[in-house]
Amino acid sequence: MPGYERAELSAELKVEPYQEELFEAAKRAAGESGLAREAGPETIVLAGGRREVLEATVKTVEAALAAGVHTVEVRVEAEGDAPRFGGERGRGRT
Amino acid sequence: MTQTPTRERTAVPATPGGVGESVGRPDGVPKVKGEFEYSSDLHVDGMLWGATLRSPHPHASIRSIDTSEAGTMPGVFAVLTYEDVPGRKVYGMEIPDQPVLAWEKVRYEGEAVALVAADHPETARRALEKIEVDYEVLAPVVDAEAAMAEDAPKLHLSGNVLRRVDVRHGDPRATADVVVTGEYEVGMQDQAFLGPESGLAVPDGEGGVDLYISTQWLHVDQDQVAESLGLPPEMVRLTLSGVGGAFGGREDLSMQIHACMLALHTGRPIKMVYGREESFYGHVHRHPAKMRYEHGATREGKLVYVRANLLFDGGAYASSSNAVCLNAATFACGPYDVPNAEIESLMLYTNNPPCGAMRGFGAVQACFAHEAQMDRLAEELSMDPVELRIKNAIEPRMTFPFGQEVPYPAPVREILDRVRDMPLPEEKAVMGRDLRELPGGVSNTTHGEGVKRGIGYAVGFKNVGFSAGFDDYSTARVSLSVEDGEPLARVHTAAAEVGQGLVMVQAQIVRTELGVENVIVETADTRIGSAGSTSASRQTYVTGAAVKEACETVREKVFELVHEEFDEEFDEEADGLAIEGGNVVADGRVVAPLEELIGDEEISETVEFHHRATHPLDEDGQGDVHLQYAFAAHRAVVEVDVELGLVRVVEIATAQDVGKVINPLALEGQIEGGIAQGLGLALMEEIRITDAKIQNASFTDYLIPTILDMPPVRMEILELADPEAPYGLKGVGEPPTIASTPAIVAALRDATGRELTRIPVHPEHIVSLDEEREA
Repeated sequence: MPGYERAELSAELKVEPYQEELFEAAKRAAGESGLAREAGPETIVLAGGRREVLEATVKTVEAALAAGVHTVEVRVEAEGDAPRFGGERGRGRT
Repeated sequence: MTQTPTRERTAVPATPGGVGESVGRPDGVPKVKGEFEYSSDLHVDGMLWGATLRSPHPHASIRSIDTSEAGTMPGVFAVLTYEDVPGRKVYGMEIPDQPVLAWEKVRYEGEAVALVAADHPETARRALEKIEVDYEVLAPVVDAEAAMAEDAPKLHLSGNVLRRVDVRHGDPRATADVVVTGEYEVGMQDQAFLGPESGLAVPDGEGGVDLYISTQWLHVDQDQVAESLGLPPEMVRLTLSGVGGAFGGREDLSMQIHACMLALHTGRPIKMVYGREESFYGHVHRHPAKMRYEHGATREGKLVYVRANLLFDGGAYASSSNAVCLNAATFACGPYDVPNAEIESLMLYTNNPPCGAMRGFGAVQACFAHEAQMDRLAEELSMDPVELRIKNAIEPRMTFPFGQEVPYPAPVREILDRVRDMPLPEEKAVMGRDLRELPGGVSNTTHGEGVKRGIGYAVGFKNVGFSAGFDDYSTARVSLSVEDGEPLARVHTAAAEVGQGLVMVQAQIVRTELGVENVIVETADTRIGSAGSTSASRQTYVTGAAVKEACETVREKVFELVHEEFDEEFDEEADGLAIEGGNVVADGRVVAPLEELIGDEEISETVEFHHRATHPLDEDGQGDVHLQYAFAAHRAVVEVDVELGLVRVVEIATAQDVGKVINPLALEGQIEGGIAQGLGLALMEEIRITDAKIQNASFTDYLIPTILDMPPVRMEILELADPEAPYGLKGVGEPPTIASTPAIVAALRDATGRELTRIPVHPEHIVSLDEEREA
């Protein structure tokens, strides 16, 4: 059942180079948003409404930078159109 | 204008094997004879065996993973950890929160940590033993209530609340003459499919992989596997293999990504088959629930309000918990006219095994509670429990508490009337009976002493198809050609046949629509567009509609050929042009045989069917959220040995509205099978968990009903056509499971006088050993 009321927007944040103690600061900030989940040892995903996700992304990036992270790679995806959920598949008769 | 046929027409019989007939299963005889090839039977030369290292702890940090010794063992070709996941390291149908392989933490007992590929399953098993994982064991969060505690450890970054749905309807301060309250609990049921998780991944030598797999939804598997392999979906091709049951337990991934990772890493085909014990850790289960209810009614028995708090244990990862939480919230009041409702449905993460889809998901738990409440209310009002239900039954054009107008048909009163009016089974004297007709059976536990009879009723409903705005479509390709001088139709979809009979239904629809007896249902795979999931009782509706529409278009093309051939002298509507018995006919007379019209051509059409849009609930839990509703009522007659707590279900009577019977034999099977699963939940089926660890991961200790437990089923079928559905049909798979459980427990209460607020009801609940000990 993918997409049962799935998130409007998701943002994937990847900290590079990965250092656990620095990443913890980003995880804390992301967690407080109520939108976060882990997606790998160095990756956080924020998923929810557009405004909430964007606000949480900024806060998480700020927290990471404040902790000493040099690079945060951010990938924002509007899940409603994401091809993996079938958005690119044809409609109607072919 | 009257048309004159250009040739003499002969009468033809209708094509056999169409919609409405009891067409036999093509896989039925091979399955009974043990000749059917399940996914666990797959074999290809040169294949290796994959195996999974699983966490022995329900909650732990991983300090390190050492694979060095395992990797050097003779016969071992690969040992993989999270570092080897090439793409996204998490997966999940609704929320990708589950690690493909754990990296830092394990959150449930049995979580996958590492993989091995070896030339023999025993070598793979021994290699798993050589992988050293250094765990720091943490205290587990053992249930949903513990997960809500302020000092509970946060299992995921944003805490332990997975989903919350509130339904607010009417006056929150409504008061009533009569009030009944209750607390109810549902244990963790397993789908208990017989075919374990299994499949075969074959690398294509060009970086892609072919996966032969038993699953419920090929395309959602494909999407998730491709994402985690870091490949485009077209490089991950899935083909449905023989499925040994599903019931929701195959909707999530199990070994799909793992087998493909190993295949791409080794360059060899990889077979993975879980054992029975591993299977209990390898798939999701039905959500355990604790539910508090308050019902208010007038002295005349009209419901005034329902207030409920539903608390679900989602386990360690999300799976389809969102949908379960939503369904429970919307079905919490039952199929009744409730003017005021306050429902809170809450889903928590814990360190228990992940829970997800299972037949009737969300509706099953709520139905047990709301039907127990209706019985309590009836008792408080000194009313007949069926009368109370009928008095409050919803009807078309009323409004559900979640704001959706009740669509036609909604025959709640009628199905209740039907089950009440069916004759009761003869009540024979208990003494001197054949042991097999007594509780305890051939265990010879009673000769009739202490045996009491009870009767109970329940009614339930469930949404058919996916809800809340999901574009729940299906794709079908139908082609018509001539082979060996005979017209032949082929139908191709990606819809998973999991034992429910879709393989017959597709052929029946093609025969009915195209009038061709020879129909080949091609193997489901991802060469064609998605058919969605085989779940939520949806495939006959959605894929059935896609097949029907594809046939209709093919038929139009055939009629165009008729017009071309016969100088447009036939008008379809005026002449009743149709295809029957392999011929195009008009007014029941043959115009031309299909083989003459089609010749060497192939007429084909691919169609996507999208049902009407549904919408998410708003903040107050209001909205047009569901597509279709299916209703069933049950009456259970039980006999209970009240001294030993043993139960014999004497008979189940049921009435169900199915819209249109597509295949009577298959329908009967669905109803009986669903009732068996409902009986299992009522009396025996529960995954026992202590400190977040499964205690009974085997079919020795996890009990499921056998043929000796299954009573005769008396059924009445209503065919009230849904005007929006193909042939007017309704999904039929889930309703038999939903209300059969509370009907059986109501009958137990009737026989024993006990409250029985938890399912499954075990013997100790019936004889109340705890109370006796205290006394």
